[in-house]
Amino acid sequence: MHDVEATVARVLEGVLGAQRGEPAWRRDAKGGMSGWYRLGNPEEIPMVARALAGLEARLSMVSAYLVPSPQNAIGREIAYHFDLDGSTLTLTLELPLEGARVPSLTQVYRNADWQEREFRELYDIEVLGHPNPGRLFVDRSLEPALFERLIPYSTFINGANGERLWREVQAAQEEVAP
Amino acid sequence: MSRTVITLGPRQLGLEEPMYFRVQTAGDRVAGLEVLAGQVHRGLEHLTLKRNFYQNITLLERLCSLCSNSHPSTFCTALEELAGMVVPPRAEYLRAVADEIKRIASHLFNCAVVAHIVGEHALFRRVMELRETVQQTKEAIYGNRMDLAANCIGGVRYDLDAGRVGYLKSQLEGLKAPLEELYRVFADDPALAAATVGVGVLTREQAQAFGVVGPVARAAGIDYDVREKSPYGAYDRLSFQVAVQAAGDVRARALVRLVEARQAVSLIEQCLDQLPEGPVALMSFPEIPAGEVIAKSEAPRGELIYYLRTDGTDLPVRLKWRVPSYPNWAALGEMLKGEPVSRIPLIVNSIDPCISCTDR
Repeated sequence: MHDVEATVARVLEGVLGAQRGEPAWRRDAKGGMSGWYRLGNPEEIPMVARALAGLEARLSMVSAYLVPSPQNAIGREIAYHFDLDGSTLTLTLELPLEGARVPSLTQVYRNADWQEREFRELYDIEVLGHPNPGRLFVDRSLEPALFERLIPYSTFINGANGERLWREVQAAQEEVAP
Repeated sequence: MSRTVITLGPRQLGLEEPMYFRVQTAGDRVAGLEVLAGQVHRGLEHLTLKRNFYQNITLLERLCSLCSNSHPSTFCTALEELAGMVVPPRAEYLRAVADEIKRIASHLFNCAVVAHIVGEHALFRRVMELRETVQQTKEAIYGNRMDLAANCIGGVRYDLDAGRVGYLKSQLEGLKAPLEELYRVFADDPALAAATVGVGVLTREQAQAFGVVGPVARAAGIDYDVREKSPYGAYDRLSFQVAVQAAGDVRARALVRLVEARQAVSLIEQCLDQLPEGPVALMSFPEIPAGEVIAKSEAPRGELIYYLRTDGTDLPVRLKWRVPSYPNWAALGEMLKGEPVSRIPLIVNSIDPCISCTDR
């Protein structure tokens, strides 16, 4: 087993217990390692993050998204990506569509500040214990998750909608035609 | 001592892009900093979900200008990894050529701005003239000075024949002596040293705590470069030494960039010498399966990371990227703390921030 696999498995077992299993590791075309692991609940992320910080892991990125897709979302997920000396470990957390909450990692990683503020305002996920929960990109007069609630201009006028509208007009004309 | 809050915009900071700052001062010293982002937030990550994979290559190249090649090349790497595509070796080398030529131009631009801010106008002109050589080289090879349109899924969209290889080599030869000279000037010139040594210091510990990347991290003693830590493309066959400085100040950041500009010349030469025969792109294009993948690269400002999630269609379910400027902004407050207000423009520019990348 590669060093990083064994080290991460040991850390996760120490924090979450042995029964939870190990990350699934993949090796890319050049031998780069990426590990994938699903957390059970939001309270686990600060515990695991603290243990990873002990390995000098760097919080590389946090990705929030809607599942299964933005068009038919039934829930949310957050993927926390950590760098371990070139390898990437992704910890995924499932969250409900409404009332999603996660604890802040800013006590462990100072660079979590901007990441959390960003997904808070774009994905409507509440961050508990954030020291500076102000808006980062979007004007504070706008409600969170505006991309989920508002129709962008590009969608509003795109060809698919126009085509659908035209078909509806044609169908209506056929109905009234003798 | 009484505290004052002042608001600084791009004009005062010598930035060419819109970003605003709320600065707390104690006397003439900086006591605190708040970065006010979002002036050019375009919802680009959301827009990528409305475009297919091909269209997103074009969109991502327009995310910013100075590191415009890194975005489409990293995105293509993510797709290729997900689909299990094996990129032709010649294409891998040509991608590295495009990345490195952009790195030289980007680093020289930042060093020129540093010279401009400290009042070294003759030096500013010299650096920009040298950068112009790189810009003209890009225009001759790719047909454009900034957006190279070099990448496609499964390879690249350009090739180098013997004539272009010869031209590129001669242009690189012409860069070597001036780049050496520039390094000596930034390392030894007393006036530059007075303006940059011990200024805007970020310690190794602070750099680690904020997760900074790229030349900002390497100038603080962090020996991390994606090209070396997790090689991609042709970098597993290229030789270079990661540029590291210990001081963590403005001078150290400039020196890291100048070393990397010199190394980029060597890396392109290595690519041209090793350039294998063969196709520059895959002839067939497989389906992109459902899945998730990480792809990384060393952009001019540091580690660029992409997360791609797909569902088997030709639209991404989620495309997220974290640009190198992102963590570097947050560490700026530490670099400015206790510094005279007059040094703010120099220190801000020393992290070589990309506002367009940050806001997305």
